Amino acid sequence: MDELMYLAPEIVVVATGLVVLLAGVFLSPRAKNILGYLATLGILAALFLTVKSFGLLTMQGFQVGYSIFSEALNIDALSQFFKLVFLVVALIVSIAAIKYNENSDHTEEFYTLMLFATFGMMIVASANDLVVLFVAFELASLATYALAGYEKQNPRSLEGAMKYFVIGSVSAALMLFGLSFVYGATGTTSIPLIAANPGLLIENPIGLVAVVLLIAGFGFKMALVPFHMWAPDTYQGSPSVVSALLAAGSKKMGFVAAFRIFIVALVALQPDWQFIFTILAVATMTFGNIVAVAQTSVKRMLAYSSVAQAGYIAMAFAVMTPVALGGGIMYALAHAFMKAGAFIAAGVVVWMVSQEKTGNLDVPDHLDSFKGLGKRMPLAALSMTVFVFALAGIPPTAGFMAKFVLFSSTIQAGMAWLAVIAILNSALSLFYYARLVRYMYFLPPEGKSVSVPFPYAAALLVAVAGVLVMGIWPEPFVELAMKAAMVLV
Amino acid sequence: MLPVASLLILVPLIFAAVTFFTKTKDQAAGLGLIGSLVTLGLTLYAYLNFDSSTAAMQFYESVPWVPFLGINYSVGIDGISMPLILLNAIVIPLLILFSWKEDREAPNRFYGLILTMQAAVIGVFVALDFVVFYIFWELTLVPLFFIVNIWGGEKRAHASYKFFIYTHVASLVMLLGIFGLFYTALHQTGIPTFDIRELIAQFQFFESGLMRDAIFLAILFGFLAKLPTFPFHSWLPDAYTEAPTAGSVLFILLKIGGYGLFRISLPMLPNTGNPNLMIMMLGLLGSFSIVYGALLALRQKDLKRMIAYSSLSHMGFVTLGSAGLVALSVSGAMFQQFSHGLIMSIMFMSAGAIQTTTGTRIINDLGGLARKMPMLAVLMMVGFMASLGLPGLTGFIAEFLVLTFSFVNLPGFVLLALLAIVITAGYHLWAMQRAMFGVYNEKLGSIRDINSMQVFSMGVIALLVLYFGLNPSPVLNMMIKNSEAIVSLAAVMGV
Repeated sequence: MDELMYLAPEIVVVATGLVVLLAGVFLSPRAKNILGYLATLGILAALFLTVKSFGLLTMQGFQVGYSIFSEALNIDALSQFFKLVFLVVALIVSIAAIKYNENSDHTEEFYTLMLFATFGMMIVASANDLVVLFVAFELASLATYALAGYEKQNPRSLEGAMKYFVIGSVSAALMLFGLSFVYGATGTTSIPLIAANPGLLIENPIGLVAVVLLIAGFGFKMALVPFHMWAPDTYQGSPSVVSALLAAGSKKMGFVAAFRIFIVALVALQPDWQFIFTILAVATMTFGNIVAVAQTSVKRMLAYSSVAQAGYIAMAFAVMTPVALGGGIMYALAHAFMKAGAFIAAGVVVWMVSQEKTGNLDVPDHLDSFKGLGKRMPLAALSMTVFVFALAGIPPTAGFMAKFVLFSSTIQAGMAWLAVIAILNSALSLFYYARLVRYMYFLPPEGKSVSVPFPYAAALLVAVAGVLVMGIWPEPFVELAMKAAMVLV
Repeated sequence: MLPVASLLILVPLIFAAVTFFTKTKDQAAGLGLIGSLVTLGLTLYAYLNFDSSTAAMQFYESVPWVPFLGINYSVGIDGISMPLILLNAIVIPLLILFSWKEDREAPNRFYGLILTMQAAVIGVFVALDFVVFYIFWELTLVPLFFIVNIWGGEKRAHASYKFFIYTHVASLVMLLGIFGLFYTALHQTGIPTFDIRELIAQFQFFESGLMRDAIFLAILFGFLAKLPTFPFHSWLPDAYTEAPTAGSVLFILLKIGGYGLFRISLPMLPNTGNPNLMIMMLGLLGSFSIVYGALLALRQKDLKRMIAYSSLSHMGFVTLGSAGLVALSVSGAMFQQFSHGLIMSIMFMSAGAIQTTTGTRIINDLGGLARKMPMLAVLMMVGFMASLGLPGLTGFIAEFLVLTFSFVNLPGFVLLALLAIVITAGYHLWAMQRAMFGVYNEKLGSIRDINSMQVFSMGVIALLVLYFGLNPSPVLNMMIKNSEAIVSLAAVMGV
C-alpha cells in the first residue's frame, strides 16, 4: 500500500481517464463540455502531487530515490522532473482542447486517450525495467496514434496518423529487438542489474548491435535525423492540440527513456553511443533549421524547428557532463512550454480560419493566415511572439536560460566546436522565427479582429507564464534539473 | 539612498508596459514623456550624488539570482556608465517631444517600444554581471527590430532582418567568449561567478595560449560589430537609413558597443598573448573606419545615408582613442560616445524633419531650404558644424583629445585619421550647401518650418552641444578616473 502512495500522480491521471470515459457514456453531447474541465482538474491534482513529491524526495536525500514494485519502478528526481514536463504539456493541451472539442461527440475519447498517453509517459519516466519501459512506451504510443488521426474527415490528419503509426510500429519493433539483445547478453531486464555487469555487454559484440537498434528505436520518438521523416507530416496534419502533445510531450518520453537506457543501463558502451549521438545531434539541429527556413505552413515550420530543438537536447548525450545533462533536462521543460504554446497559438489561427472560411482552407496554418495577427488577435500574436523568441533563445525567456546552461556546458567540456555549430544554428533559426513575427506585426491584416476564445486564451497564458517564469526566475528549475541529472551520473 | 541603478531600468519598463495599453496618440506620447522625465529625474539624482573623484563603483546593488551558476543580479554606476546614462536620459524625452506631432499607426506600441529600449540600454550600462549584461544586450535588439520593421522606410524588412540577425550572431560569438571566460575561471578558482569585474581580474591568471586569446577576441568581436567598426559595419547604413527618425536616434543612443570596449575589452587587453598586436589591430580598424566612412559619406546622394556613413566615420574615433591607451585618449573616446550621441541626434532629427516636410531625402532634389525653414537651418547647422569638428562644440573636444593623445602610441594611424578630417569637413559643408542654401527648389511646393516642439527638442540638444563644447569638464571629470584606472592596468603590464 505504501508503494502505491508514490504513484499517486499516475493513479490520479488514470482514474481521471476512466471517469471521463465512463461519464462520456451517460452525458448528452452538449453536456460533454464539462469533461474537459474534469480532465483539467485531474491533471492539476496530479501536477500538485508531483510537485509535492519533490518535497518528500528532498527530505529523504534527493539522489537516493525509491525503487518500488520489486524494483520495477523508480521514484527519483529524474522521474519526477519528467512527470512535471508531461503534466505541464497535458495541462496546456487539456485546457486548449476544451475549445477544440466543443460540441464534439467524441470528447470523452479525446480526453481518455490523452490521459492514458500521459500516464504511459509518466511510467516511462519511472521505468527501471526494460519490459515495463517498453510496455509503457507502447501504451503512450498507441494512444497518440489514435489521437493523431482524430479528425477522421481530414485526409491530412489521416495521412499523418498513418505515417506515424507505420513508422512508429517499425521503430517499436527495432527497439524491442534491441532490448532483447541486451537481455540476451546480460540475462536480465532490470536496468540496475544490467548496469552492474558492464563486462557482459562489452565482451559481447551484440552490445553494439543493440546500441544501433535502440538508437533507431528511440530516435524515432525523439525525431532525430534521419528518423524524423514522419514528424513534419504528422505535426502538420494532426489537430494542433495533438501536435502540441506529440512535439512537447511524447518527444520527451523518447528522451527520458533514452536517458535511462543509454546513460544508466548501457553506460559500459558509452564511447560507442556517445559518438553516434554527437553526429546525430549535429545533423539533427542543422537539418531541422535549414529545412524550417523553407516552410510556408506554420505548423510544418514548427515541426522542423522541433526537430532542430531535439538536436540541441541530444547534445546532452554528446557532452555527457553533469551540467550538460542538467541543461538537457531543463531544456526539455523549457521546450515543453514553448512548443506546446506555439502549437496552441497556431491552433487558434487554424480555428479562426475555419470559422471565417476565408483564406487558404486547404492549409489553414499557412503563413498568410498570420498576416496582421497583431491587430486581429493581439493576445495570440503576442504569445506566439514570446514563444518563437524563446525558441530562438532571446532573453529573458526559458529558451534563453536553457540554451545558456546547455551551450555553456559544451564549452566546459572542451567541445567548443559543438557550441559554435549550435550557436550558428540558433542564429539561423532566428531567421524563420523573425519571419513569422514579421507576418504577424508588419503585414496588413486580411479580415476583422477576432477575440481569442477563453480556453485557448487560458492555455496560452499558462504557457507564456511558464516561459517567462523560467526565464526570469530560473534558480529552482536549474536546481531541480541538476538534481535530476545527478540520478544519471 | 535610492536604489537608483535598478530604478533606472524599472521605471521606463513599467511606463512602457502601461503605455502599451493607451488608446490615443496624446495619451501614449504623454505617458512616454512622463516616464522618460521620471527617468531623467532619477538620472539627475544619480548625477548629483555621483562622486567623480573615484573610479569605484557607486550605487552598487547585488542580489543572488542563480547561485548554482554564480549568477547575481548586480548593478552599479561609475564614470564609464554615468555619462552614457545621462545621454540616454536627456535625449529620450526630447525624442518623444520631437516625434509627438508625427502621424503614425499604433502610437501606443511606438512609445512603449521607445521606453523598453531605454530600459534595455540603461540595463546594459549598469549591469555588473555578465548574464545580466547579456540579457539586456540582447533585449535591445527586440524593440529596434520592431521599430524599424513597423515604421521604417521602403526597405525596412530587409534592413531590420539584416540588423537583427547580423548583430545577434555577433552577440552569440560574444556569449561563447563569456562562457570561455566563465569556465576557465571556474576551472582555476573552483568558484562559479559571472561577475564582470571578478572575471576580468581572473583573466590575468589564465594560461597563455589559444584559448585565452580566443576568449578576448570573441568578446571583442561582439563589441566591434555593435560599435560598429569597419569591416563589421555592413548592417549600419541600411538600418540607420530605413529606421524612422526616432529609430535612427535610438540606434545612435545605443552606445553599448563602445561601452563594452571600455568596461570589458580594454581592461582585459593587457593580459592577452600579444597586447601590442591587439592595439595595432584596434588602431588600424579605428582609423580605417574614420577614412572609409568619410569617403563613403562623400559620395552619398541620400542625406540620411550620408549621415549614417558619417556616423561610422565618427565611431572610428572611439576605437582609435581606446587603442591609444593614454588616459586622455581613452577619455576622449568616451567623450566621443557622449558627444556623438548628441550631435547625431540633431542630424537625424534634421534629416527626418526634411523628409516629412519635403517628401525626399535626396540632397540634389533639395536646395534653398533655409529660406523656408530658417529654424531648422539654424539648428541643423549647429549639428553639422559640431559633427565636422568645429572648435567650441563637443565634437571638437572629443576628436582633439583622441588625435592628440593617441599620437603618443599610434602616430601612423593618427596621421591617417587626420587626412579624413579634411574629407569630413568637405562632405558636411557640401551637403549643407546643396540642401539648405542656394536657390529654393520650387518643385518642393510650399513647405512649413518645423513645429515648436521640434524646435524645442533640437534646440535643447544644440545648446548642450554648445555648452559641453565650451565647458566639457562636467562630463570629462566623470570619465577621467576610470580612464586612468584602465590605462594604469595596461601600464602595470608594460604595454
